Amino acid sequence: MQKLRWAAVCVILVALMGWPSSAGAQVIERELRERIVPKITIAVAGFAPFVMHGEDLGKLGASVLIADLRFTTVFDVMDPGTLPFEPRTVQLDQERPLFPGLNSLKVQQLAVGQVSSRGRETVVEGRLFDVAAGNMIFGKRYVGDPKFYRLMIHRFADDIMFHLTGEKGVAQTRIAFVSTVSRTAKEIFVMDYDGANPVAHTGNQSINLSPRWSPDGRMIAYTSYRNGNPDLFVLNIDSVRRDVLSAQRGLNATPAWSPDGQWLVFAMSAGGGTNLFLIPKGGGTPKALTTGPPISVSPSFSPNGRQIVFNSDRGGSPQIYVMDVDGTNLQRVTFQGNYNSSPRWSPRGEKIVFMCRLAGNQICLINPDGTGLQQLTSLGSNEDPSWSPDGRHIVFTSTRMGHRDIFVMHADGTEQTRITSTGQDNYLPDWSP
Amino acid sequence: MRHGTRPGVLLTALLLAMGVALLGCPKRPDLSQAGPAAVGPAAVGPAAVGPAAVGPAAVVAPRPRVGEPLVTRPTPPAEAAVQPIPGAPGAAVPAASPLKDVFFDFDKADIREDQKAALNHNVGWLKASARVKITVEGHCDERGTAEYNLGLGERRAKAVKDYLVDARIAADRIATISYGKERPFVLGHDESAWKWNRRGHFVISGH
Repeated sequence: MQKLRWAAVCVILVALMGWPSSAGAQVIERELRERIVPKITIAVAGFAPFVMHGEDLGKLGASVLIADLRFTTVFDVMDPGTLPFEPRTVQLDQERPLFPGLNSLKVQQLAVGQVSSRGRETVVEGRLFDVAAGNMIFGKRYVGDPKFYRLMIHRFADDIMFHLTGEKGVAQTRIAFVSTVSRTAKEIFVMDYDGANPVAHTGNQSINLSPRWSPDGRMIAYTSYRNGNPDLFVLNIDSVRRDVLSAQRGLNATPAWSPDGQWLVFAMSAGGGTNLFLIPKGGGTPKALTTGPPISVSPSFSPNGRQIVFNSDRGGSPQIYVMDVDGTNLQRVTFQGNYNSSPRWSPRGEKIVFMCRLAGNQICLINPDGTGLQQLTSLGSNEDPSWSPDGRHIVFTSTRMGHRDIFVMHADGTEQTRITSTGQDNYLPDWSP
Repeated sequence: MRHGTRPGVLLTALLLAMGVALLGCPKRPDLSQAGPAAVGPAAVGPAAVGPAAVGPAAVVAPRPRVGEPLVTRPTPPAEAAVQPIPGAPGAAVPAASPLKDVFFDFDKADIREDQKAALNHNVGWLKASARVKITVEGHCDERGTAEYNLGLGERRAKAVKDYLVDARIAADRIATISYGKERPFVLGHDESAWKWNRRGHFVISGH
């Protein structure tokens, strides 16, 4: 499926005018830009009405693109109503006369899209202009089955992000999660990062938990009760092949992939307590990383693969600990509060996000050395945080609107937005690479 | 021994069940429109635009695409009453099971003094029914995280098993499984529900 999906979105470069001569120079150290460089002001135009099956794909495309660009936190996207022209009347090749007006509003970039059909395929022509320089930065044609229309727009958004910042955007990423589909069935689903297009990846009517994307995005490890015991499975999304990785009696749960994708660490309760074990991705003899009666669950690798952060009650209450990948050099990270859980190491390694109990279950950040505790949420009961691959965003679960639902927010805690609402519980999200 | 307290507990449970049934839960929306009718163009409709604009209509009933049986979103049960959990015989009508549940304190797996009567009752029944095999399910309330609670439920189930083994029930008659907080006995968001959900539940698995 995945291969088809990508093959369907074939991208044709139509123009190289004004290709940035120094793309590398634009890759500014991110912290620096976040502190010093202001947001890039961008306007979206074009996307004239193009109706298919009663739906205006032009209007949809513009709104998806604007939402994608805003979500990056990099762009200041102009409200269409504030532009000195009617944005949706803008046709391709009519962009240049708009530049003076945009310049006077200090708009730096202009993104223009146009939707059409070619046979059974939908075509999106996307162009990005540097308004001040008067250049086209890139022009691409995105072609694919109409069902991939949103993905084509997401790809345009990621291309804009990459050309202007040198960074890989997250508009094409997805989120795996658990969704309650009946009183007893909890299945693994995958949806786009904005909550659209949820698709079931299990259908066994039992309990399926803790989906975790492999670093290459092709596999999902998860725990399933389908055979009457919580066993660890690995699903290959492309081939839909499902392998049992561990089926010891008791828990085979809460997996984490090593950054090189060759190993998994997971919790197993065969023996004494619930301990963490390391196993090759293809299966093999699990090697114990923790021992004894305490509970050790929810591991997450540091991005360099040398350390593992996890949740344990070895000190009497659930707290966050860090150890080396061979199980040595154990250090406790959290000391404030009597219940800290579900840690995830940030993609760049500088933070750990976790559930903290400070006036209810909240999402907190802390430095791996235990300093810098920061609370990000305050509404409802929140848990299960997971980072976006660029580290700019966090997906988590909250009960603030009734059921447990999936929310996303920026990594500073702003813009907390619900992206599921099926009327039943949606939880344990994991953001794809 | 405190056998005398047990009917009181059951009565309380039934009253609680009736109370919850009558009061319902005003927080949950009407779910009747969450069925398969929601599948379709709405998935790519304007309502489904990026995170900032995603409204209640954004996520629709998903289409399965894998080799396992189809997933549908049947109309969910109205939130009411003590939920009898299918596959957990005895849960629906506790008095009908010969084996009694045992309850735990928050984040604890110690056998409480006030629960030993129920366990001793179960020991007596198991001794009299020597061919019966059981599974002890460990359950947790909703406050802890889903993943940590898997470990806690496991610990509770094993604590119950240890008690039975200490009372000379053969270990090979007793299996354990943790459901964490995935199968609450009572739906609710306060201690009146939580106290029933921190439990060791007995299921007869074979004769």
